[in-house]
Amino acid sequence: MTFTSWQFGVFAATVFAAYYLPALRSFQVQLLVFASLFFYGYGQPDLLALLAVAVFGTYLFLILALRNRQVWLPVGIAFNLALLAFFKYKLLFIDPASPSLVDFAPLDFLLKLPLPIGISFFVFHNISLLVDLTRQKAAPPTLAGVFLYIIFFPQLVSGPITRAEMFMPQIKPKYFADVPFVEAAKWILTGFFFKLYVANNLNEMTSYMSFPLYETLQTQDRWLLVFLYSYQIYADFFGYSAIAIGLGLLFGYRLPINFNRPYISISFSEFWTRWHISLSTWLRTYLYVPLGGNRHGLWRTYLNLMIVMGLGGLWHGAGVGYLMWGLLHGLLLVLERPLLARLASIDFAMFRAARMTVVFLCVSMLWIFFKLPNFHHAVGYLTGMFTPSTNPNPTKLFYSLALLYSLPVMIQHLGFRPLFEGRLRRAEPYLYGSMAALMYLEAGPETSFIYFQF
Amino acid sequence: MSAIRWLIKCGAAAAIVLIACGFATVRFGSGLQMPATTTRDGTLITLSRYLREPVPDIVLLGSSITFRLKEEYFATRGLRNLALAGGSPVTGLEIVANQPRLPQYILIEANVLARPTDATLVERYSRGETEPFFFRPVRAAVAAYEQRLHAPLTHEQVAFDLRRLVGQPPGDFDNRIYVDRALQQFNAEDPADAARLNAKRIGELIGQVEQRGARVFLFELPYAEPIEGSRFAATTREIIHAAFPDSKRWLSIEVDRSDLRWADGVHLDERSAVIVTQAMERALASARATK
Repeated sequence: MTFTSWQFGVFAATVFAAYYLPALRSFQVQLLVFASLFFYGYGQPDLLALLAVAVFGTYLFLILALRNRQVWLPVGIAFNLALLAFFKYKLLFIDPASPSLVDFAPLDFLLKLPLPIGISFFVFHNISLLVDLTRQKAAPPTLAGVFLYIIFFPQLVSGPITRAEMFMPQIKPKYFADVPFVEAAKWILTGFFFKLYVANNLNEMTSYMSFPLYETLQTQDRWLLVFLYSYQIYADFFGYSAIAIGLGLLFGYRLPINFNRPYISISFSEFWTRWHISLSTWLRTYLYVPLGGNRHGLWRTYLNLMIVMGLGGLWHGAGVGYLMWGLLHGLLLVLERPLLARLASIDFAMFRAARMTVVFLCVSMLWIFFKLPNFHHAVGYLTGMFTPSTNPNPTKLFYSLALLYSLPVMIQHLGFRPLFEGRLRRAEPYLYGSMAALMYLEAGPETSFIYFQF
Repeated sequence: MSAIRWLIKCGAAAAIVLIACGFATVRFGSGLQMPATTTRDGTLITLSRYLREPVPDIVLLGSSITFRLKEEYFATRGLRNLALAGGSPVTGLEIVANQPRLPQYILIEANVLARPTDATLVERYSRGETEPFFFRPVRAAVAAYEQRLHAPLTHEQVAFDLRRLVGQPPGDFDNRIYVDRALQQFNAEDPADAARLNAKRIGELIGQVEQRGARVFLFELPYAEPIEGSRFAATTREIIHAAFPDSKRWLSIEVDRSDLRWADGVHLDERSAVIVTQAMERALASARATK
């Protein structure tokens, strides 16, 4: 059940209607937990048991770690990382199509289970829960509260990765009168607009980046498609996150902002404070800082950056392409680090624009490893960007369509928001209404959210 | 501003845009040829146009191989190419056969018969519902812009360029890795079962449309030499010729093969497509003359 299906609309409306009934106020948390289990089980009922094991296991280790953090916290983290490693990285070693993988039937069954949707996200929630609550030496939360934090349906599949110390205090009775309807509507409409109008339409064009279709592209179109994919992946993931934030607000929960106009970044370190903020915050808090961060000299800092970005890449998927993507981002962070202070001292508009262009160009080129996780295909695509195309029947792309479907991302990055908070405030509802109509009229063919695969 | 007022204004704006698009669809909807970003998109456009416009004299049905033979390459008037890139000629034949009026001549490509019929497409275009309730405003704007800049070409407009193209030596594009890849695929796939089924269905449909007055010819487009010998090509050829042994059923496309080039061993390049088109026109003229 994806956010863009009518089934999800019916589901969300039903849960919302029941949620604020006075008779059910004492059971709001339980209702959301039940709804989230239904949401998850709707797509992968056979993996509900795994979700339950992950939550019950984490709860057990949390209770134990609150008594003895030194012993049980590492065990709890290892339990979650083992789950992630088993389900996400087993495909590196086995072929699930084989009739029998091992002689032991239960293990054979587990090895053949598909990748559980959202496992990368809920495992990170679990680790955050263990670390945050044991650090605060808080009273043990209720099992229902832990369930809700981990499987709250708006954020279950693709985040934002909410930190426990931010979410758990929000678990309390909610009232209909407190629902920020306008704010929620703005997030939800923006999210659907970016997904349906921008991402799904651009996806039609960027499907030509797949192997072997990309061999029919002219050199300049390869470049164009890299930038279009850059806009598409942003619109897709920003769209999902915006819908999740809006839905969270409808149920009285404020989820973290996940994007802040990442393509205006003037450095790679700034990019990571604007792109998938909840993941980079998580990696910084639970990996980079515990590794020593920048407290042990220059070379150790560089090593830590490479480790964090490499693992961040692998978190997205078990493949050389994802690892390369992470390591190359790490390398860019390492290369720019000694120059940052000097670059910051040169502060005039043209120079800032040039830096912005360089960052956007590099980030966009690295998305090729996302689009083409097969390393050889990615290298083949990249090579074709620097050699003239001789294909006698090249694919024709409509540049005008490309521009019109990318425009919302560009406009958003240009920062017109203050205008609508000031002089054009009265036009705001009409703008959102037009966006709603346009996303219905001009929706591209249905495709799943890119981050669902992670 | 209260939340309710904000939401009402938002809903009203959405309703106004939708109503405006509804009116615009009624007024302009069928006049614009929407740009296609994928082959599937292009297929829908071609089929919609076929249903909307007067029935042509001749239709071409086939797969992506025939899709390359552009309508403006043909000097023959009243010809429509309904080949479906990525699709089966049977899908096109089913759609044409389900229409109340038929073209005089139906030419069916017999190269690719392993694909199943696209039942959704057949059902959609057999019901005759081709116009959506609302058109897509951005696509429509781009369509208007494209039509203004690049109106569909007629044969007369491109005849000089085509003559010049054919007069040039064959292209020197090195397609070896693509041919090798295509050969691998064509040898891996056994089309026998699907081809038999499709050949049988083609026979049934030919019977139906010929009873209604149309005349049907089959044709084969040339592949590059290594592909001609592949399991896929050889099996398909054997099955379709066994199903239709009468040589009068076939348009014989006679070209100097050494003059042809393929982008990937399967799909003709532009110059070769023009040469094959001219050969088809000659074959068709001769078939029409011997009624």
